[in-house]
Amino acid sequence: MRIARSTWLLLLPLTLSLAGLPALADAPAANSAVSANPAVSASPAVNTSTPPSPAAPAADAAAAAPAAGAPPAAAASGAAPADAPEQPADASTRALDEQIQDIKQQVVDLNKDLFVLEEELLFPANTQVAVFVSMDVGEFFGLDSVTLKVDNREVSNYLYTPREVTALAKGGVQRLYVGNLKAGTHELVALFAGKGPNERDYRRGASIKFEKGIGAKYLELKISDRARRQQPEFEIKDWE
Amino acid sequence: MAGSGRHDFPQPIKELLVIRCRRRLSLLVLAIVLLPSLAGAAAVGDQAPDFALPATAGGNVRLSEHLGEVVVLSFWSSHCAECAAQLAALGELQTTYRSAGLVTLAVSVDDDMLRALQFARAHPARFPLLLDRLKGVSRAYGIDRLPTTVLIDRRGRVRFLRTDYHQTDNSYIAQVRELLDDPL
Repeated sequence: MRIARSTWLLLLPLTLSLAGLPALADAPAANSAVSANPAVSASPAVNTSTPPSPAAPAADAAAAAPAAGAPPAAAASGAAPADAPEQPADASTRALDEQIQDIKQQVVDLNKDLFVLEEELLFPANTQVAVFVSMDVGEFFGLDSVTLKVDNREVSNYLYTPREVTALAKGGVQRLYVGNLKAGTHELVALFAGKGPNERDYRRGASIKFEKGIGAKYLELKISDRARRQQPEFEIKDWE
Repeated sequence: MAGSGRHDFPQPIKELLVIRCRRRLSLLVLAIVLLPSLAGAAAVGDQAPDFALPATAGGNVRLSEHLGEVVVLSFWSSHCAECAAQLAALGELQTTYRSAGLVTLAVSVDDDMLRALQFARAHPARFPLLLDRLKGVSRAYGIDRLPTTVLIDRRGRVRFLRTDYHQTDNSYIAQVRELLDDPL
């Protein structure tokens, strides 16, 4: 029976899912940590190093223990304890290990280059606008979320976890948003939500009109404490 | 009949045309049903979609901060009769395996946030109860029935997806243990 073209078009997604998509899911995710899911969360993480998870050192120790145990075990299981036959094996193992380390380093370097290339491709300098968040002390304000609007259009809504707030308080700077804007005058509005003095719900806004020229534009949302008024202060700085 | 503009087909051809139309309609319905689930919902083997949600106890929780730990992600609703029992069972599991690196997060899909908060107060849990007001997380994970539990390994990949809960079924404990035994 001949099947019409329209029927094939309907069957195409089903066919792809059965044949192709599981294979595509196994593709190496070199930038998976970078490409955030736009459906549920905004963008990149705070620019500080996260502490290693407890599982990792334990896993590393566990991995090191068998690895350390393997050469002695291999040496012990050798038939006659002749040193001469074992040396080539050790040397080849060492050479192989060095090759593996070289390949790992190449992969890391390649990943870094790909990330830079991706940034340049998606956000070329002549249209790039980046917004950063920084916090000074943070005694009078417990940051919960920041909402960004550019030209009255919401572009970012980021929720902060306690770990991220701690990182900001320690001096970290977060790239909250990066996007593309054409040259001209634009308006940025930032809404800060959190806990103010006396643990009360606190919402404040700040706005800035800026000129987008030929080069990249960087704006900083700075949260600082105004000790005289015992209140937090929110300002938007333009990095000229 | 000339000029009438209407063709009278013989009976067998009419039946064939009806069958063809029914087949195309059923395929169309099948495609409409399947396409959303194929479009973007997390499947077993996929990297678990990251998210950040507010917790009923205050503060925000981000999934990616638990990389290196095994995460049990449970979707619940105050309208779901089995969800309360499942949350209690997950609390026991969390207490038992917390030191081994188990993290439990429960995401509410309630439309009424007040109702969700009341449920959370009535059923205090030993893990964060999160509020997905905009349903973005539910959509990302393709939640279409409750309770649904997603088991995420230490590398952040979805390993098991359970769409039911029975009090006497302890197979999910074996799955959790398998993930906990899996080194990073």
